[in-house]
Order: sequence, then C-alpha cells, then structure tokens
Amino acid sequence: MCTDETESTYFQRASRWKFIVIVLIAALVAIIIVSLNVGYAPISFADILKILGKQIPILNGYVDSSLATLSPVELREFQAHAGIILQMRLPRIIAGVMVGAGLAASGVVYQGVFRNPMADSYVLGVSAGAACGASFSILFGTGFSFFGLRLVQVAAFIGALFAMFLVYNISRVGSRVPVTTLLLCGIAVNFFLYSIVALLEVIAGDELHAIVFWLIGGFSNVKWSDIWAVFPFIMIGIAISYFYTRPLNLLAIGEETAQHLGLNVERVKQILLVLASLVTAAAVSLSGLVGFVGLMVPHVTRLIVGPDHRILFPASTIIGSIFLVVCDALARVVATPFASTLELPVGIITMLFGAPFFILLFRKKKESYAL
Amino acid sequence: MVLLNVDGIECRYGSVKVLENVSLSVKGGDFVGILGPNGSGKTTLLKSISRTLKPHKGTILLNKDDIYSLKTVDVAKQLAVVPQESNIGFSFSALDVVMMGRNPHITRFQMEGTKDLAIVRKAMVVTNTWQFAERPINELSGGEKQRVIIARALAQEPSILLLDEPLTHLDIINQLEIMDLVQDLCIKEKLVVLAVFHDLNLAARYCTSAVMLKKGKICAAGDLSEVLTSENIKNVFNVNAIVQKHLVSNSIFVIPLSPQKPPAAKRCAVHLICGAGTGTALMKILLDEGYSVTAGVLNVLDTDFETAQFLKIAVTTEAPFSPITEKTHTANLKMISEASTVVLTSVPFGDGNLQNLEAALAAVTMGIPTFVIEEVPIERRDFTGGKATALLEELKSKGAEFVKDQNELLSLLNVSVEKLKIAKKERDRILDHLKPGEVSKKIK
Repeated sequence: MCTDETESTYFQRASRWKFIVIVLIAALVAIIIVSLNVGYAPISFADILKILGKQIPILNGYVDSSLATLSPVELREFQAHAGIILQMRLPRIIAGVMVGAGLAASGVVYQGVFRNPMADSYVLGVSAGAACGASFSILFGTGFSFFGLRLVQVAAFIGALFAMFLVYNISRVGSRVPVTTLLLCGIAVNFFLYSIVALLEVIAGDELHAIVFWLIGGFSNVKWSDIWAVFPFIMIGIAISYFYTRPLNLLAIGEETAQHLGLNVERVKQILLVLASLVTAAAVSLSGLVGFVGLMVPHVTRLIVGPDHRILFPASTIIGSIFLVVCDALARVVATPFASTLELPVGIITMLFGAPFFILLFRKKKESYAL
Repeated sequence: MVLLNVDGIECRYGSVKVLENVSLSVKGGDFVGILGPNGSGKTTLLKSISRTLKPHKGTILLNKDDIYSLKTVDVAKQLAVVPQESNIGFSFSALDVVMMGRNPHITRFQMEGTKDLAIVRKAMVVTNTWQFAERPINELSGGEKQRVIIARALAQEPSILLLDEPLTHLDIINQLEIMDLVQDLCIKEKLVVLAVFHDLNLAARYCTSAVMLKKGKICAAGDLSEVLTSENIKNVFNVNAIVQKHLVSNSIFVIPLSPQKPPAAKRCAVHLICGAGTGTALMKILLDEGYSVTAGVLNVLDTDFETAQFLKIAVTTEAPFSPITEKTHTANLKMISEASTVVLTSVPFGDGNLQNLEAALAAVTMGIPTFVIEEVPIERRDFTGGKATALLEELKSKGAEFVKDQNELLSLLNVSVEKLKIAKKERDRILDHLKPGEVSKKIK
C-alpha cells in the first residue's frame, strides 16, 4: 500500500522542515521591515531600507553614494528618520522578536514536559514572581538603577527566578520532580505571589498606573541596553533547548516510556525546566507580562506543523516572534486615530486579537486535535 | 548470551510491601511467564527490572552489572518494555512512534539514518503495522496501537523483552501472530522474554518456564509443567482448574471451573446412577446447587468416575471394563439407602451395568423419590435384548418420575426440596421402627 513511498516521504520530511523554517524566517524579516513603517512619523520603505542598509558593512558604501545626492534639508530629515527607526522603532521590534521567541519557545517546552495543553510559559509561577519583583521596584525603587539597567527589569528577572526556585524546591521529592506536584505548586505559588502584587496595588497610589501597565506587558521606552541585557539568556536558552527536541518528543509520550527508550528523564526535565524558566524570566523582565503567547503560539503551530518537537520548537519560536511583532505594530496603529501619544500595551492586543483567532482555528480543527 | 539475575528483591509503594524476597535467573532463549492474580506483584516485578521502581533490597544484575548503576541509555539498548497501556496524547504518526525505539542507538546530534529506517520498517512489517505507518497513533484502534508499541520495542533491538499483559487489546489472530513472533525471536535470536499473562492458556502455549506470584512472593517457579498444575492454580488463584496436555497443540491447557460458591445449604443427598459421561454435568450442577452428591456403580476410568474423583464425590466403584459384581451392587444399595433422592441418567445399558437399573428399582421400592432422565429413548440405548426396557417399564409403573432432561429435573428438585425433606423424615421414622436386619432383607 505504502511501502517505499513511506520511506521516501520520511526522508523528505527533514528538507520540508528546513523549508518551513526558511519561509518563516523570511516572513519574520518582511514583517519587521513592514512594521518599521508603522508609526506616527511617515517614513517611506525606501528610506527604511537605506537606514537599515547603512548599518550593514557591505551595503554601507552603496547607501552612502545614494545619500550623496540628497540636499542638506533632505539629509537632515533622513538623519532624523534614522534616529526614529534605529533608536525608537527598531529596539521595540527587536524586543518583540526576542520576547515572542522566548515565550513561545518556553511554552513549547512546558507543554511537552508537562504533557498538558493548559501549560504555558507562566506555569511555574514565573509570571507572579516577576510581577512581584517589578511591583516592589516600581513602588520603592524609583530612581535607582542597576549598572545602567532599569531597576524594574532586574527586579522582575530576580523575582521570576525566585518563584521558579521556590516552586521547584517545594515540589521536589528526593531527586525526582513529579510533574503533577510541580503544576500544583506552580498554581499555589502563583496565587500567593499575586496576592502580594494585589496588596502592593492597593497601597500603590500614584504608581498604580505604572504597575498595571507593567502587568499587561508592553514595549514602550525599550532601549538597546535593555535588550542587550536579556539577549544572551534568551538566545542561549533557546539554542540549548533546541538540542533537546528529540528528548521532548519522548517526554511527550510519557515519562516512563521515555525512560524505557533510554532517556535520563529526571535530568533532561531539570535542564529543560531551568532553561525554559530562564528564558521566560528574561523575556518578561523586558516586556512585562505579555499574556497568551506562550499558550497559544505552540498550539497554533502544532496545528500547522504537527507534534514533532524538532519542527514544532523552531517553528513556534519564529511564529512567536512574528505574532508579537505584528501585535506590537497593531498596538501602535490602533490608538493613532484617537490620540497620537496614546499607546496600547501589546499585552492587550495579544489577548484581544489572539484569543478569537485561536478559538476560530480550534473550532475548525478540533476533531483532529487531541492532546 | 544475555543473562538477567534478580536476587532477593523487595519492593514497596510507600510502606506497603509489594514484592518480598523475589529471585529469578533467566538467560537468552528463556520465555518466562509471570503469573498470578491481580495485586500479586507481577507488574511491580517488571517495573523493578525496567528501572521504574527501585527495589528497597536486593539486586538486579544484567550481565553482571547492577541494572541501577548502568546509564539509562545503555539499559535501553538491551532492554525493551511493552507496557500494559500506552496513552499517547500527541498525534505522532505510527512510524514516528516506532522510530522513537531507535533513540538509544542515536546520539543527540544525529538524525535517524537509512539503517534506522530499515530496522523500523522490518519491525513494523513483522508486527503487521507498516500499512498504517503514516497514520496518527491516537487515531488507531487499541489493537493497532499495541502492535505499534510492540514494533517500537523490537526497533530497540533488545536482548531482553518485558511484556506486561501485551495482548489485552488484541484479537485472537493478532495475539497468536504476535506471540509466535516473540517466540521466534526468543528461540532464534536468544532473546530473554519476560511476560505477564492473565490468560493461563496463552502462557502455557508459549512459555518455557514460569513464575507464579502470590501476595508478592514467589509461590512456584521453574519449568512450565511444574508450575502450571491444578494444585498451584488452586493455591494461587483460588480456582479449581483442569490441567491437561492438549493432543493437537502438545501444550498444556487449563480449563478453569467457575469458582464454587459456598452452597446455600446442604439441602439433601442425591445419588446418581450414571456412566459414560451422562452424569458429569449433573454432578457439578447439583454440587453448586448445594446438594450433597454420591454416585455408583461406576467403572474406574469411566468419564463420570474421573469427574467424580475431581469433584471429590463418593462413588461405589467397579474395576475397569468389568461387569458389576454382587458385592459392589450391595455396596451401591447401601449408598442409595442413605440418599434422599435417586437420579437415573440416560446411560446406555448392557449386561455389564444392568444391575444399576435394578438398584434404581430397589430405590423406588425403598420409597426413595427416584427420577429418570430420558434424554435418549431407551430403544436406542438398550443393548440387553429388551431386559433394560422391561426394567424401565417396571420403574415407571412403580412410581419413578420420568423427566425429559436435566433442566426439568432441576426445576422439579428445587420445587420438591421441602417435600423431599418431609419424605426423608418419614422414611427415617419408618426405618427406626424396622430392625436393621429387616432393611437388608427387604433390599434383597
């Protein structure tokens, strides 16, 4: 019926996966360029390309020669545009790329390790820990800075890691970490830390607005230094996790079976949970609690590329980036007609537009979707 | 050749001891059945060998290495497990799932190669799963899924195969095909196979040896024929079973009998006059119904005799293939006199057992309620030239009750239990008035 055909399609799959990844990266680059165009100041695509090209050594000379033909006024306008693009829009977009990638990647890892469709990036209490840290620093730490970094970022990062450490150690039984206790402890610690956040909100007074904004999550005022601070955590975390995609497949079909198939389950779980938590902590310290990405993107991607983590993981990572960049662009566009200075936090957009899209997709494919 | 040595292990769940002092030693080519009732520790034994549940005491050696000191991946190269049930939530294709069996043989940075695919394909062809290789595992039927899991175990190319009730979801042809395959591997590739079976007959058919567990302890171990005996089955499972060697398959087979409910009450004693298997079913039914049963005269080696032996029924016996002598006839009459009811089955009559009919006649004369089952007309089973027919006519005229089959008999018996009790009391009262000598005179 399907003998040699099955074999050949099996080996074609690897190249199909590569193709998917390349297409997604191309889409991401295109979307980055398009969203650089989005904003209050109108900047043409030609200028955007020139500004970007000027940053790339090989294209540098070509761009310079085309700039030579500009009049001084035009040149000044170009430089102003370059400032907007490079110092305002691009950091924001790169932050979106990184946070989207990080949340989606850790979402895939958590769903795989926990074999639970409800798991997302925040399942181990990372969100509440970060919220707690951020709220404290907003209330009590105004004016301080930490080696040039915003205090709220550092506090959120530390809070997230603290929460993860707490959950992990409470649920540990000897050298083993049973998934169910981990989930339950995560929920319990989440509630506990959120109650502290709520308390801080009650006594916050004028700072309440800042806390609420941070909790929803967004990218306003992101600077390059903020990005460079979290870049290594997210990128290295994702890169190492990628080598654990086959073990993730094994974990997804059950821990006992995975062990029978030669996987050192507890160690792999440990490594993956720590990596995913680091990535999540770094991501939320940059953006605040952007919701829904870590839950939805892995699900949507699974509907598209199937359950194999060797493609699911990289595809989710890139789709997470695309999703968040698009949402951030929308966040900037939607508010513009009403007031040029008002900016919606991106977290509102991810949930407002993401949830209906998710439900729509789910209704279409729910028969074939059993998790 | 691979060697597995389990030495005095003790396993616990929390504080509950599930296995105690279990030892066994198996080598390549052994097909070992692990038998025992629910909760006897069969699965736990497999779990401790597959490194899922570390024993509190004792060691498990795989070729002289403690299995718990080896690397997980090195164990997986040698030992594959087919669990009771596999719940795979994600929609991996069957081929993907089988390919996971190659995991211990592939390093982290490798992709599966053509050699792996060839091995996987072979495993899927022999388990009859290759035709649905591309279908998602969670859309397969229970039996198909289980075959995929078995294929995955084979793809590991193990030297030890642990099967935990592997056939639960399979239909009979797949059961036989899979077990034939495993047996083949066991013989040709010198695999160790350790399998938990609920079906004793499947175990009997494929295992070379067996371990019988009862409440976490080994109750019997060794060659199959030594372990699978009706005594052991009674002891471990608390079930009566007939264990015999089958003439066609030349393997042991087990026929479990329905567990004996404690009889409601010893309602009354029934004496069966039967033979040639006509009383076999009735003996069991009457016992289950709470009657006490006797039988006679039966020749030794007669089917009914063997059944009676098995059911521990008192019988008046005659030597094999011999006519009934006066002595046994008298003994039979004595037995009848102690019964409260006599049942005569549709046994064929020849000169050798004609006296049994006279015994029935004597019972009627004694005033014991007597039932005659006439499933087969007497003309077709009278080999005495009409003597038996005449005696049966006499029985009828003297008031024996004729019924057409067992069922009618049983319904009559149930209805007339109370009547029988009264009748027996009356008879005892009459007998009390007679002198013992007169009874025997009357019988003669």
